[in-house]
Amino acid sequence: MQIFTVSEFITVLNDIMRRSISPHEVGILGEVAEYKVSQDKWIWFKLKDDQGVIDCFATVWQMRTPLENGMKINAYGFPKVHPKSGKFAINVERVELIGEGALRRAFELLKKKLETEGLFALERKRMLPQFPEHIALIASRESAAYTDFIRIVNNRWSGLTIHLYHVAVQGASAIKEIVSAFAECQMSDVRCQVLVLIRGGGSIEDLQAFNSEEVARAIFASKIPVVVGVGHERDETIADYVADRRASTPSNAAEMLVPDRREIGYAISVMSERLRDRMDYALESNKDRLADMTSALARFTGRKIEYVREAARRIAERFAQISVRTHDRVTGAIRILENLNPEKLLARGYSVVFKNGHVVRSVKTLARGDVVSIRLGQGTFDGDIREIKT
Amino acid sequence: MASKIKKPTFEESFRELEKIVAEFESKEVDLEKGLAGFERGMELAQFCKKHLEEVENKVVEIKKRFGGVLGENEEGT
Repeated sequence: MQIFTVSEFITVLNDIMRRSISPHEVGILGEVAEYKVSQDKWIWFKLKDDQGVIDCFATVWQMRTPLENGMKINAYGFPKVHPKSGKFAINVERVELIGEGALRRAFELLKKKLETEGLFALERKRMLPQFPEHIALIASRESAAYTDFIRIVNNRWSGLTIHLYHVAVQGASAIKEIVSAFAECQMSDVRCQVLVLIRGGGSIEDLQAFNSEEVARAIFASKIPVVVGVGHERDETIADYVADRRASTPSNAAEMLVPDRREIGYAISVMSERLRDRMDYALESNKDRLADMTSALARFTGRKIEYVREAARRIAERFAQISVRTHDRVTGAIRILENLNPEKLLARGYSVVFKNGHVVRSVKTLARGDVVSIRLGQGTFDGDIREIKT
Repeated sequence: MASKIKKPTFEESFRELEKIVAEFESKEVDLEKGLAGFERGMELAQFCKKHLEEVENKVVEIKKRFGGVLGENEEGT
């Protein structure tokens, strides 16, 4: 027989209970009732089934999951008799929501809370880079979501490095792993330009990590834009709301992130064509210059202007046939035309001989004693013919 | 310090090409100056097209550096 004082007894009882019931091994399944929060710090509620009820206590900062009366939960905690009041309660360390109803309700509550805080604000959403080079990918590498995503990226684009952070996307460790991946990425040496978080579709139980406050905050805190793609066309997860862009599926996420090489290739072709067109147009407008030059040449040589024009055109054409590169074609043509400029010929040392105002082309028109006028690049002088050489 | 010529990214080249085309469209093309732009534009177009056809994608798996998750064995260390 042992006699304890009241406080000693309570201590012994608490000790016995603590040692035999641990929140790592034992959970209590029940329905939440009489839920209340006092002073924004302490949470009290009752956990009941149809035959029994137990008091529960928790702190606000420890209880991340918002609860409501009527929700079914698993509660994990230490049973304890509070010495001062003799009151028995479970000190709850964590809870799990059971059943779709509870999860939906928690989803609604969290969505409202985060929306009010501004995590879904449109103004904060950032643009995705058009041509990313480094993408951070948080996904389960065993999943179809992952293989689909990679396949579509490879089809569409090249020159990309995908930095894969493999995580569990559901189950007990999912939230921790996903949040940890976000943290790793922020601190990485490689500057990724965009982060993508994907998984396949699933039930609301499966999607719990994507509806969690921790993952939502990790997305919000990301310094680079985040694309979320849950393989789930209908319902949206909290992660979808916080994301900079929401993709309807992992494949859609791939389409959003990288361009289609065929479309870009087409755009490049169109631009090349436009350049060529403008270049041709510039050449066309330079035909005016050509006209001036041929007129000058015709005046000087006395030939008909059409003849000169034809000659110049044939030369330029012939040159164009020889040279493949447009650049050479154009500069070559310009050079030829410029060299046909009479002024240039004179500057190079050629001279023009005039007799009685007409250009002399052959010595046959000259006789000893004739007076001729000679035009040089610089200046003109007269001369008497001394001797004709044949 | 010796200057290092950085390899141009696809994005830089594509943007420069867009800029040249915009310049060509907006004003009268001077034949002499236009040639330089035209040449550069063709060069860029060539580079971009080559990039689309050739370069492959790479997947690099990141192993966690410090304690935590991402697949590393938590026992011992």
